[in-house]
Amino acid sequence: MSDRVTPKPLPPHHLPSLKQIGKPLRRVDALGKAVGATVYAGDFSMPNMLHAKVFRSPIPSGRIVRLDVSKARALPGVACVLTGADLPNARLATDLPGQTGRAQRKGSDAPVLAIDIVRFHGEPMALVCAESLEIAEAALQLIDFKYEALPGVFCPEEALQPDAPKVSGDDNVVARWQVRKGDVEKGMAQADVIVENTFYVPFVEHAYIEPEAGVAWVDEQGVITIRVCTQVVEHFRTVAKALGIPQNRVRVQGTMVGGGFGGKEDVTVEIFLALLARATGRPVKLVYTREESFLATSKRHPFKITHRTGVRRTGRITAAEITMLADSGAYPYLTPYVLLYATGMAAGPYKIDNVKIDSVAAATNQPFTSAFRGFGGPQAAFAYESQMDEIAKALIIDPLELRRINYLKTGDTTVTGQAIRSAAWSEECATRALAALGDKTPDSPTRKVGRGFASYFQSYGRITWFHDTSRAWVGMELDGTVVVRCGVPDIGAGQSNSLCQIVAEVLGVPLERVTIYATDSAVTPLAGTSTATRQLYMSGNAVLQAAGVVRASLVKKAAEMLGVSLEDVDLDNDFAVAMSQQGPGVPASGDSRATAPQSRTSCCGNSEVRGSRGLPLAEVVAKAAASGLPLAHLAQFNAPFTDGLDPETGQGDIWPDFTFGAHAVEIAVDTETGEIEVLKSAACHDVGRAINPAAVRGQIAGGSHQGLGYALMEEYVVEKGMTKTPSLAEYLIPTSCDFPATDVIVLESGTGVGPFGAKGIGEPALTPAAPAVANAVADALGVRIFSLPFTPEKVIAAADAGKDVVKPDRHW
Amino acid sequence: MSLPQFEVQQPQTLGEALKILSEVKGAEPIAGGTNLMVDMRAGTHQPRVVVDVAALRDLHGIEVTDTEVIIGAATTIAEMLESPILAKHATVLVKACSSFANALIRNRATVGGNLVTAAPCSDTAPALLTLDAEVKLASVRGMRRVPLEKFLVNAFSTIRRSDELLVSVRFRIPSATATGAFRKMGLRKVSCMAKVDVAVLLDGDTTGRCTSARIALAAASPVAVRARAAEAALVGKALTPEAIAAAAALAAKAAAPRAGSEYKLRVVEALVRRLLAEAALALTRGGSNA
Ligand SMILES: Cc1cc2nc3c(=O)[nH]c(=O)nc-3n(C[C@H](O)[C@H](O)[C@H](O)COP(=O)(O)OP(=O)(O)OC[C@H]3O[C@@H](n4cnc5c(N)ncnc54)[C@H](O)[C@@H]3O)c2cc1C
Repeated sequence: MSDRVTPKPLPPHHLPSLKQIGKPLRRVDALGKAVGATVYAGDFSMPNMLHAKVFRSPIPSGRIVRLDVSKARALPGVACVLTGADLPNARLATDLPGQTGRAQRKGSDAPVLAIDIVRFHGEPMALVCAESLEIAEAALQLIDFKYEALPGVFCPEEALQPDAPKVSGDDNVVARWQVRKGDVEKGMAQADVIVENTFYVPFVEHAYIEPEAGVAWVDEQGVITIRVCTQVVEHFRTVAKALGIPQNRVRVQGTMVGGGFGGKEDVTVEIFLALLARATGRPVKLVYTREESFLATSKRHPFKITHRTGVRRTGRITAAEITMLADSGAYPYLTPYVLLYATGMAAGPYKIDNVKIDSVAAATNQPFTSAFRGFGGPQAAFAYESQMDEIAKALIIDPLELRRINYLKTGDTTVTGQAIRSAAWSEECATRALAALGDKTPDSPTRKVGRGFASYFQSYGRITWFHDTSRAWVGMELDGTVVVRCGVPDIGAGQSNSLCQIVAEVLGVPLERVTIYATDSAVTPLAGTSTATRQLYMSGNAVLQAAGVVRASLVKKAAEMLGVSLEDVDLDNDFAVAMSQQGPGVPASGDSRATAPQSRTSCCGNSEVRGSRGLPLAEVVAKAAASGLPLAHLAQFNAPFTDGLDPETGQGDIWPDFTFGAHAVEIAVDTETGEIEVLKSAACHDVGRAINPAAVRGQIAGGSHQGLGYALMEEYVVEKGMTKTPSLAEYLIPTSCDFPATDVIVLESGTGVGPFGAKGIGEPALTPAAPAVANAVADALGVRIFSLPFTPEKVIAAADAGKDVVKPDRHW
Repeated sequence: MSLPQFEVQQPQTLGEALKILSEVKGAEPIAGGTNLMVDMRAGTHQPRVVVDVAALRDLHGIEVTDTEVIIGAATTIAEMLESPILAKHATVLVKACSSFANALIRNRATVGGNLVTAAPCSDTAPALLTLDAEVKLASVRGMRRVPLEKFLVNAFSTIRRSDELLVSVRFRIPSATATGAFRKMGLRKVSCMAKVDVAVLLDGDTTGRCTSARIALAAASPVAVRARAAEAALVGKALTPEAIAAAAALAAKAAAPRAGSEYKLRVVEALVRRLLAEAALALTRGGSNA
C-alpha cells in the first residue's frame, strides 16, 4: 500500500520571468528591525509628555451608580481625568462602510466612555493622564465606582430568547444574512444520504507581540496628531467624528506595527489619546499592558455552525443547509461583515446548486468580537472541512475523492452566485500538500497517528460594495533614485517592501534605490486599510499604475536618446537599454517581459551604445526633467464596485477574487494523556504571483502556526462575562518548539487581480490549518471532536468513544 | 500595572538576612523573583521590604557527602540542570529541571523559591518527593529540618514561618541501582505550567523484585503528593505489567484534581504506568541512578 498521493499536474499557465518580482530580496524594513532602529509606537516619547491610563469596568453588566473621580483629579501630578459625563456626545463609530457614501448601520456606535451602563468586563469608563505612569496608575485606584449589577446575557443563544436582557437594540440581533440559491428541498430529495453536524469554535485573542500604543500631541497648526500602531490610518476620520472636529484637524501617523491580525483594525488608543491631548495641550502617551490588551480589544468570534448536507452515493453534493450563530459581544464593531464573510464562504470551495444559509450574530455581555485574520473564514472552514470528512465517512469514500468531485472550478459560482474568475487550484494544492507528508509514521499501542487535510477558498480585497480605493505616489529623483509615498500601514507582513519591489521592477532600478514613506494620513496618499488581505492587491495596483506613468516618461526620453522605438526600450538595473542592441556582455534582464517584445532585429542602432549597457538611468532622468516630462505620478486604483446582495436571496458579488489552497498534517494522538503532537505539516497555496517569495513563505509559515495554535491550544475563556485567561500565563499560544516547521509549497497561477497576477495570502495562510488537524484527529481516533481547541480532556473522551471504531482504509 | 514602591535589602550573610526577616515587619525574601515580581506587578503580593537572598553564599551550591546530596536553596534550575552531581545521583530531578519553564526563567528561578511558593504545579517538588528530600529552615531562633512532604501543606501553603529562610534541600544518595523517571504533561512543550507531573524512583533486586518504590504527583492535587498506597503495593513484588498497572491505578487515587479536571486521573494512571515500566526496564538492565 502506497502512502503517496500524486500531485495533480498544473494546468498550462503563463508566468513571465521578471527582474525584481519573484526574488526573495532583503526586505526594505529588515535592517531597521534587525538592529533595533525601528521606533515602534510604544518606543516613542516627546518632551513634556503625560502618561495615560484607562479605568475599565470590573464587571460585565451593570448600572453606574457613582463614578466619582474627584480624588483622582486632586492627586498631585494628575493633569486630567475624563469620564463619559465629560463627553456626552463622544461616540465611537464601529461601522466603517468604506467610500460608498452609505449611512452607517443604525445602532453600531459605541460610547467612547461608558455612560450609565457598562456592558462588558473591561469597558472603558474613565481616562487619566499624569506626569508619570505611576501617578496615573495611583489615580486609577482613587476612582470611586459604585454599581448596581444588572442581569447579563452570556451566550448568543440566550441572547436571542425573547425575555433575555437587552444588550443591543430591542432583540440583541446585531446582524443577519440569508442565502437562498436553487431549491434546497429538491436538492435534499435528490440526496441518497443526509449528513448533519454542529461545530463550535471559541473566542481567540490576537496576541500580537506589540500591545496597542501611541503618543498624541497638538501640532503648531492645532492639528491633533496621533502616532500609533494601527492597521487603519483612515481612523483619523473616526477620531474627528468622536471629538466633533473637522477631519482635516486630525492626523494619524502610523508606525511599523508589531502584528495586527485584525486586532488593530478597530480604534484602540487613538480617541483616548486625542481627547487627552486636546484637553491638556500636552503630548500624551498610552501603552496598553498585555493584560489590558487582552481585556480591552476585540476577539475572534465564537461560532456555532450547523451543516446539513445532502449527497448522492456518487459523492456529488446536492444540497447544503447551513446555520450560523456568532457571538458579537457587547458592541457590534465589524461583526456584521465577519458574519457576511463566514456566510459567503460557509459552504467552502465546492460547487453546490441548492443552498440555504441563515446566519445571525447576537449581542452579549462578553468581550466584543471583530476582525481576526480570516475574518469569519477560519470558523467557516473548520465547520465545512470537518463536515466534508464526515460526509466521506458516511459514504465510505476517500475524502480527497469526495472533494475532487465537488471542487469549485473557474467559471462556477459560489453560494451567492458570484463567478470564480481566476484559477481554482484546489486539487492541485491538496494533492501537493498531502504528497509532501511523505511516508506515514506507524502507530504504537497508545499513540495513534492520523492524517488529515483541508481545502479552502478565501477572498482577498474588501467587500466590493464598499467601493474600495487606494492611492500611491511614485517619483523619480534626479539621481535616478525613487521615492514612493503610500498610506499603507505595514503590519509586519512586508506590505511596504512589496510596493517597493513592484516599483523597482517597473522602473528598472535595484530595490535598494527605492525609498518608501508610508502610513501618514497627512503626507502619504490614502491607501486604505491593511486588512482584508487587500494591500498588495489595492496598493500594489496603485503603485504599478503610478510607476507605469513615470516609466513612460523615461522610456520616451530614452527612446529618443537611443534613437530606437519605444517598444525597444527596457529599463534594467539603473540603465535604459535598447533590447535590440544588447550585444555580448550585456547582462540579460530576464528572459521575457509580458509587455515588451523579446527581441528585435537591430536596424537603426546608435553605435555608441551598441554592445554597451545602455544609458545610465540618471542621465535619462535629467534629460526627461529638462524637457518637462512628468517624473512623478499619483495614481488611484479602484476595486470593482458592485451593489449589495439581494436581501431575500443573498445573491450577488461580494469580493474581487479568491485564493485557493490546502493544508495537510500528520499528527499523533496519545490516547491516554490526550496530548496531540503535530508530526508533519505541509501547506500549499496558489498565491497567483509571489512578489517576494521569502515574505510569502513567512506569511504561510506564520499563518500555519497560528492556525495550529487555534486547533490545539488557543481559547480565550470567558465565564459569565469575566475573562479567565487574563494573560499569557493562562492563554497559551504556540512557541517555536511546539510544531514542526510547515513545509511551504507556493504555486503561482498568475491569474489573480493583484499586480503581476498576484492573489492574496496574508489571511488565507491560517484558514485551513485547524480543520486539517481536526480531520487528522478524527482519522487517528475514528471519532470526531466538534469543538476547538482539542484539549486533553476532549481528546481522552474522544479516544474512549473511538476505541472500537474500525478506521476506513485510505491510500494516504 | 507598574511595580509598587518597595525597599530592597541586600544582606551579605545569612545571619544578617535572618535578622532583617525577624525585625522588619513586612519583609519578604526574594531569590530569582520569577514568582514574586509577577505577583507584585499584579498587585496580589505587596511586601514593603524585599530581602535579596540570591547572593547569600550559604544558600548556594550543590554538594555531595558520603551519604547525602545538599542543594542550596538559591541554586537556580539552570545550575541544577548542569550539575554533574545531580546527573550522577538524581536524574529524576534533572529531568524535572529540563522540563521547567524556558531557558530564560531557568537562569533565574531557584529551587528554594519553587518549594516555598508551593504551587500545585511545581516541577521540582514531585522529583524531590521521590528522593525523600528534607528542607532546612533557619531563623534567628535556630535551624530546623523538615521532610519536604510535611513542609508542603496545601496549595501555596507551607509550614515555613515568615521569619524563616529555606537554606537547603537535602536527600540521601539513592542506591546505585535506583532508577528515576519524570514526565511533565502540559499544553505546550516549553514555557508551560504542568497539567500533570509524575516522578518515580524505583529500586529492585537482581530477580526483578521491587525493593523500593516512590511515586509523586504534581498539578493533579492542591499540592505535590506521594502516592503511598501505590508504592506499598509494589514493594516486595515482581515488577510485572500487572503489578505496575495495579500500582498505577492506586496512584490515581492519590490525586485530587479540581472539579472539571477529572481527566487528570486518567493521565496520572497512564503516566505512572509508563514511568514505572520505563524504570523497571532500566532496572533489568542493571539500573542507572536516581
Ligand atoms: C514564565 C514563567 C514560567 C514558569 N514556569 C514554571 C515551570 O515550568 N515550573 C515551575 O515549577 N514553576 C514555573 N514558574 C514559577 C517560578 O519560576 C518558580 O516557582 C521558581 O522556582 C520560583 O523561584 P524564584 O527564585 O524565582 O522565587 P521568587 O519569586 O524569588 O520567590 C518566590 C517565593 O518564595 C520565597 N522565597 C524565595 N526564596 C526563599 C528562601 N530561600 N527562603 C524562604 N523563602 C523564599 C519568596 O519570598 C516568594 O514568596 C514559572 C514562572 C514564570 C514567570
